[in-house]
Order: sequence, then structure tokens, then C-alpha cells
Amino acid sequence: MKKHLFRTLYASILLIGCGNQTPSPGVTDEEILIGNIQDLSGPIKELGLLIPAGSQMYFDYINEQGGVNGRKIRMITEDHGYNPQKSVTAAKKLIEKDQVFCLYNVIGTSPAEAIRPILEENGVPLIAPATNSSTMSDMSRKGAKYIFHTDAGYDLQTKVLINYILSKNPDAKIGFAYQDDDYGENALLGAAEAERMNGVTVQKESFQRGATDFVGQTSNFMKGGCTDVIIGGIVREPVTIMKTAQAMNYKPNFYGLGPTTDKRVGLLAGDAGEGFITAYWAFHPESNNSGPIFYRELCDKNNVPDKMRGLYHYYGFATAFVLVEGLKRAGKNLNRQRLIDALENFKNWDSGVLPPITYSRNDHAGVESVMLLQLQGGKQVEITDWID
Amino acid sequence: MTDILTGLMQETISGVALGCIYALIALGFTLIYKATEVVNFSQGEIMMVGAYMHFFFLNQFVALTGGLNAWVFLLAFIGSVIFAVLFGIILDFIINRPLKGEPVFSIIMATISLAIILRSLTAMLAGPLSLIPISPFGDHTFILGGVVISILDISIIFSAIIMMSVFYYFFNYTKWGISMKATSADSEAAQLLGIPVNKVYRYVWIFASVVGVLSGIMLAPRMALIDTSMAFLGLKAFPAAILGGFGSIKGAIVGGIILGIIETVSLGTLSFYFPWIKEINDIIVWIVLIGVLMIRPDGLFGMAKVKRV
Amino acid sequence: MKTRFEDEKLKWIPLLILLVFFFPFVLKSATFSYKYYLYVINLAGIYMILTVGLDILSGYTGLMSLGHAAFLALGAYFSAIMVDQLGLPFELSLILTPMLVGCFGFIIGFPALRVQGIYLGLTTMGFGFIVKRLIIVFNEWTGGSAGLSVSNAKLFGWTINSDWENYFIIYFFVIIAIIIGRKIVRSKLGRAFMSIRDSEQAAIASGINLAKYKMISFFISGSFAGLAGVLFAHTSNFISTDHFDILLSIYFIVMVMIGGIGSIYGAVLGTLFIVLMENLFIPLFEDGLSKFIHLETGDFQAFIFGLIMLIFIIFQPLGLYGMWLKMRIYWKIFPFNPRKRFT
Repeated sequence: MKKHLFRTLYASILLIGCGNQTPSPGVTDEEILIGNIQDLSGPIKELGLLIPAGSQMYFDYINEQGGVNGRKIRMITEDHGYNPQKSVTAAKKLIEKDQVFCLYNVIGTSPAEAIRPILEENGVPLIAPATNSSTMSDMSRKGAKYIFHTDAGYDLQTKVLINYILSKNPDAKIGFAYQDDDYGENALLGAAEAERMNGVTVQKESFQRGATDFVGQTSNFMKGGCTDVIIGGIVREPVTIMKTAQAMNYKPNFYGLGPTTDKRVGLLAGDAGEGFITAYWAFHPESNNSGPIFYRELCDKNNVPDKMRGLYHYYGFATAFVLVEGLKRAGKNLNRQRLIDALENFKNWDSGVLPPITYSRNDHAGVESVMLLQLQGGKQVEITDWID
Repeated sequence: MTDILTGLMQETISGVALGCIYALIALGFTLIYKATEVVNFSQGEIMMVGAYMHFFFLNQFVALTGGLNAWVFLLAFIGSVIFAVLFGIILDFIINRPLKGEPVFSIIMATISLAIILRSLTAMLAGPLSLIPISPFGDHTFILGGVVISILDISIIFSAIIMMSVFYYFFNYTKWGISMKATSADSEAAQLLGIPVNKVYRYVWIFASVVGVLSGIMLAPRMALIDTSMAFLGLKAFPAAILGGFGSIKGAIVGGIILGIIETVSLGTLSFYFPWIKEINDIIVWIVLIGVLMIRPDGLFGMAKVKRV
Repeated sequence: MKTRFEDEKLKWIPLLILLVFFFPFVLKSATFSYKYYLYVINLAGIYMILTVGLDILSGYTGLMSLGHAAFLALGAYFSAIMVDQLGLPFELSLILTPMLVGCFGFIIGFPALRVQGIYLGLTTMGFGFIVKRLIIVFNEWTGGSAGLSVSNAKLFGWTINSDWENYFIIYFFVIIAIIIGRKIVRSKLGRAFMSIRDSEQAAIASGINLAKYKMISFFISGSFAGLAGVLFAHTSNFISTDHFDILLSIYFIVMVMIGGIGSIYGAVLGTLFIVLMENLFIPLFEDGLSKFIHLETGDFQAFIFGLIMLIFIIFQPLGLYGMWLKMRIYWKIFPFNPRKRFT
């Protein structure tokens, strides 16, 4: 490691004054070093196992083909346990000690927000932060020019769902169960916008992150006469709410945000989940589009066990495409600024795994569309195309 | 009007079931505190370990018999109880032997470190993927007077009642039970009377372990997924134990049930009419608790300890 | 907890100051990634200020607090709101926030007058949860669970925005905290605290007003934590409620305990030990171990932490400072040490 360090230092001294030509840390002739920060020990540590595994699967594939412009990709993953303070420590370690080229897939809204000052201070790009919160692409915040977001925000998902419900049934009475943290806050923004656009009010019930009992909220929706209920949770929440409603003989239409597309929801909810519609920000890993087909092939080739395949594994895999394409386009003379420039030239880039991505100097949101899927007989079926 | 009432009834019953689980965890706290003056911060983790072990046994027996039937559940249950007893002996060995004679504060910190160790060890051994629990009663429910009750909840309430009665009888009418109470009141005097204090400590930890494991077995099917965050429910049971007054079994039950009901009802009916309650739902129990403690510093049923100079 | 650490010499302090001042320069020349290590040391420094106060409360006065992370949070959020939203100058916040948080210490200290021992510990734990929830409830001011961006510290027109500069500010306050802490514990106030810890009845009999001194103790520990909170907010530039949870409060107690309960220096040592262990030693250990076994990083860290904590409790109840003292006494009377194992 030290040898590469000196090489890079020597090279940069030689090239001082050439501006854009100055190589960045984390790049050698053989490899590109990427830093990832996941939750490996906290409330979403499952994702910390699945997401980087998906990314690594794609990186391995690329490396087998010779890498990007002759360089292999190596990823180091640090743990933040969903604690923004630890996220800062991890980012500093990766950037200042391990000298990574860029950060990738940092998970969680507050852990990602916390490292903005560090990104700004060191000029380090962050590709595909793993959070649906649209605050990631807010260009007015610090460090925004370094962050490239790939997910459709929770607010967009919520708005699309409400509009969809109202388009099918203009008299619908909508309820929204939201998680009492940054996830929920972002989703509420979308709900508010949809309320304004359509002139309706949505009944809102909150729940704690990690709550297990939803009798209260469900009976409140019932009392409120809701015909359609949107659930802004992950896996446990939609399953429990739908089952609780079933037990109470309460039968509204149920909808969920992105994370509820997880196949376990269908598995666990059983017949209570039939007809559940979710808004998803990518192609479903079990669908028959080119990207997911390739995904399944790679999984088979690598003997990925069935219980690992799914939303989150696919997410790591899909976002890796974005990073790799950006690196490819940045060319052989790789440095951080060139990566940023390359990404900002994405125009409706169709990766096959995600909706078309566009970035520009002032817009790092990437994806602004979602697709609706419905649980039919335990499998998820596309019922719409990309909606903005 | 009946709509509100039905909703309320529903929430209350669910709350009672939840409260019974809290009560069981609180019982575990209380048992240990009663005998040793130690607050066992790892009670929630014992519950978590119990849930995981039960799941493990279930899988093993299903593999052996090839199907899910009553025998599998029975065997897994017995297996878990045996495990609980052994676990209690191990815990006693770790906590009580090396720390004999140390101030209570140190032992409490030791239980905290135990909690951390148990949680991380379980996570390392079981892997990060959450487990899907299996309920012995499926999702069956029945309707009584318009109120939907799940069989699982009924069985929880039932088991809790049985366990409480057993322990109540034990502590008030058997030789061993009364000796244990004596030890907690004054361990030196108990020793003078010939009560084997170390044995008492060990038995109490075994009891607490069994109670913890059982509460884990009962809680697991109520949750959609099992993962190590279950252990944090142990923290929630603290107010239950304190409310009732540490050291009182009656108190643990009453405290637990009150808290369970407060939690479900405040989330449901109350927050329908007073939305701000939803925002502070998770701290309502603590506010109630602190209020109670100000008025009765030893809890509702607590027995004031005589402070020796 | 009847141990007392009386053997402390004052000539230490100038030496300590010199050491602290030159440390970053030494570090910079030793390693390329000095900024990262400095950041870790800075974190330790912030926590030290808090644990000194915590030790006064729990170690010297015997009042257990399992919710001290709440005070840190209060300090951080108050300062962030005062400076960023109300436009107050940072220098003012440095003075006002500790006072404000100290007052919260009063409020939380109220139950202490009625409630004893472990009940108090659990009450403070409850306060920890309540404060955390209230911060989320007032989310127009605090950013709720999404967190809050905080501006840099600005002292007398000079913006402090690098780890290097943060170090000097933080450790300036650490040294002040240590000096004030020691002054307190060696004064009449400190003796009153210790008498409350050792026996409340005896304290009353000696004419000590329990209520007054308990409240003062809470106020002091609250204000130390408040100061730590200000520094934390303006050097991390981002705060959110996820950080200030019960686990952090437990960490603080562990820092005090491992350093040696009832000793200011002990609190400092314990904090340094825990922070360095978490961020440097354990990862190094993991890197080495991962060549043999595949580990899931996050939980392993927690496991080692719990194990070390348990080992300390069982084998070294007097903590690091106790170990230090024992070593000193050993060398002092060398070679006249008794043959038996020196405990």
C-alpha cells in the first residue's frame, strides 16, 4: 500500500500544474480503490450483507473481463451501524487513511448527509448513495456537486402512488402509514405535494422504526374509512399491517413504497398480501427485462443462494453499473474531476437494470421515474411502465 | 359509539397480550432483583437467545420428522426449556462466581457487558439475515362479540397466568421460595440461618433464564421477522418492572399489563382523537413511570428497603 | 465504592499541557493519514469533557446516570439552534449552552431527591429516551431524525474548520475541564459529594443539605456535557438523534468505570482507551484476524468491546487509573515489595 502511495505522490508531483491531468488517490496502474460504508451491525445489517455482495458480484464480472480501462476495481466496506457519527469516522478513514478514489453506495439518509462536509473538503465523489431520500440530489446542499443519486425519491414514489390511486378512483379515501424518521419525512413531502395537486387530504399514521405492533394504526385507518392505504415501511410493516387488517376483516387496497417490493413481503403476507401494489425504482429482479435476466445468469454462475437474491442484492448490482459506466467514460487518465464530468454527460443512458439515467451539471438526481408492480399470486407483475 | 368501543376492546386485548410478554420479561428482572439486588440488563438478550434457539430446534426437528406438527412444537419447546436451564447455569457461573462480594454496581455493569456480548455473539453465529418465525397456531383468530382475537394472543395470556401462579405459589408457600425471599431481604442473616445463598443465586438465575426464554418463544410469532433488535424490547420491560416495584411479582404482572395496554391504546384510539399522542408514544410509558416514581419512589407495590447506616 | 485516589501531584499539569500541544506536530510527521487519527483523538477529547462531569456525578456523588448522552444531545442541539438559527455568536454559545444544559441537569436531578440507587439509574435512562423523542418532535428546529447541519466554530472572527484547528480548541477545553474538575473534587464541594456517596445518613448528620448538593452535582455534570455538546456539534458539522442513544450513554459509563470510578484522571484515561480501542485497535485486530477467519465486522467489534468490558469488571475493578497507581506504588517501594502477588 505504501509503495502505491509513494508512486501516486511522485506522479502527482511530476504532473503538478497540469490541472485536470493530476491523478487522484486510489488510482494506480492496476486498480481503482472504492470505499463503501454500510450498516453491518445495526438495524438494517441485513442490507449490509446483501447490497455490497450484489455490487461485488458485478465488479468481479468486470474484473474478469479485464477491468475498467485496464484497471481492476477493489472495494473496501466500512461499518457505520446506522450512526451518522460513525459514518463520518468511516468516511475519514476511507478517504484519509485508505486513500480511496471515490465513495459508493453509502447507506442511510442521515449517515450520507453527515459526510457531505468531508466530500466537499476532499473533493471526493459519492456515487449512488443507497437511500431513496431525494435530499441526496438537493443541489443547494454542501458537497452536492460530488454526489450522484440513482434512486427515485420516496417523495416521488408517494406522489405517484397517490396520483395513481386517484386516477383509478377519484373518490378514494387514502391513508398513509409512515415511518417516524427521515424515510417518513421525505415521503411526507411527496404526500403533501400530491395532496396539493389533487386537493385531497390523506390520513396519516406514524409508526416507530422497528415497531412490531400495528393494531392501533390499522384500526385508525378503519375508523377513518380509508379505502386505500399506502405503507411507507420495509418488510415487517406491510406484512403486519396487511395481516392485522385481514384479521379485523378490513379490506382496503394496499400499496407500498420502494423497499416493500422485497419478495419476503409476498412470502410472509400470504393471501393477505394479494393485490399489494408497490412503486419500485428499478426493473424487478425477477422480471423478463434484459438487465434482470443478466442478473439471474450471474447469480446462477456464482451460486448465489436463493435467500440472498432479491431487491437488495439486485440494488448493489444495478448501482454498480452506474459506477462502472462512469469510470469507463472517464477514460484511462482517471481522476476525480474526470469521473464527475463523465457522469454529468449521461443522457438517458439505458443500463438495462435501471430506468434511463440522466445527469447534468445542475441535476444529479439521475432517475425520476418509478414503475408499479402488483403482487399477483405471490409474484410481482409489472402493471405500468415508467411513470414520472 | 360501538365502533369506538370495539376498537378499544380490540386494542385492549392486544395490549394485554403484549403486556403479558412485558410482564414475563419484568418477571425475569424481578426474580433476580428479589434475590440478589442485581438488575439484570441482559434479560432482553436472554429472550432473544430463547427465540433464536427455539427457531433452531424447530428447524432441526422439522428436518428430522419431515413436517410441521404438534410433536415438533412440543419437542422444540422442551428442548428450549432444557437449554434455558443450562443457559441459566452458565450465566450464573459467569456473573456470580467471579464477582462475589463486589458492589452491586459492578455486577450490574457486568450484566450490561453480558447483554452486549450475547447480542453480538448471536448476530455473528446466526448471520445478519432475519429469521421468519413460525407460529404454532397459524394466524387463526376467532370473533367474540365483534372483537377479533387471535389464538396466539390468548395462548400468551394463558401461559402468562399459569407461570405467574406457579411462581406466586412457589415464592409464598414452598420452603425454597421463602428462603429465596429471605436471601433477598438480608443475605447475611439468611446465611446465618443456613440457607445456601450461592445455590439460591444460581436457582434464581435459572428461573430468570427459563422465564426469558419462554417470553422469547411467545414473542417470536408475534413479530414478522426475528432479528437481534428483539433484545431492545427488554429495555421496554424496565418501566413495567419499576412501575410494579422491583421485587414484587404481583407488581411485575400489573406493571407489564398496564404498560402493554397503555402502549396499544395510546397508539390506537387515543391518537385518533389526540394526534399529538402518537408523536410521544414511545415515551409515554417512561413519563408515566417517572410520575409514579415521584409519588411512590419504590413503585406501586414496592417494598421500601430499610437503609442501614 | 469506597476507593479514593489521593495521590495526585499538581506538577503534572504543565507537562500535560506541553504534551498535548506538541502531539499533533509529532503525529503529522509520523504518518501521512494524520488527519484521520487527529479526528479520532478529537472525538476522544470531546467525550473526555463529558466523562469528567459524569464522574463527578456518578463517581464522586454516587448518583448513577444512564442517560448522559441526552445532555450531550441537548448541548449540541441548543448550540446549533442558537448559532445557526438565532444568529448568536459562537463565543456566546460556548458560555450560554453549558449553563442551559446545567439547568436541564437540575430538572433531571429532581427525581434524584426522591429516588434511590438503581431506580435513579433507570429514571435517567428514561430521561434519555424522552429527550431523544422530544428532539424529534420539535423537528422544525432540530431537523428531526433527518439530522441537522451545523456551522463551523467561529472564534473571534476566525473560522475553525479543519481537524488540526479543532484539536487545539477541543483540548484547550479538555485541560480546563480537568483543572476545574480536580478543583471541585478537592474542595468543600467535592467532600460533600463524596460524603453523600458514602453514606447519606452520615452526610445528613454532618449537616450537609442533600438536596442542595445533589442538585449542584447534576448541574455541574450537565454543564460539562453541555460544553462537550457545543464542541461536538460545531466540529462534526452534522448532528442527528441516531447518535445520542442509550448505547452511547452506556459507553460513557463504561469509560468512567474502566478509567477508574471516582478519579478525574481515570475518566480521561478511560475515555481515551475506549475511543482508541473502538477506532484503532479493534479494526487492526480485525484486519489481522480476517486473514484466518471471515468476520462480519460490525458485530465483532461489539463483541470484543463487551468482552473487554467484562474482563475489566472482573479483574480490574479499580480501572486503568487504579492500575497506574498500583504500578507507581510498586516502583516506589521497589525492591521492598512483599513476596505475595501484589494486588
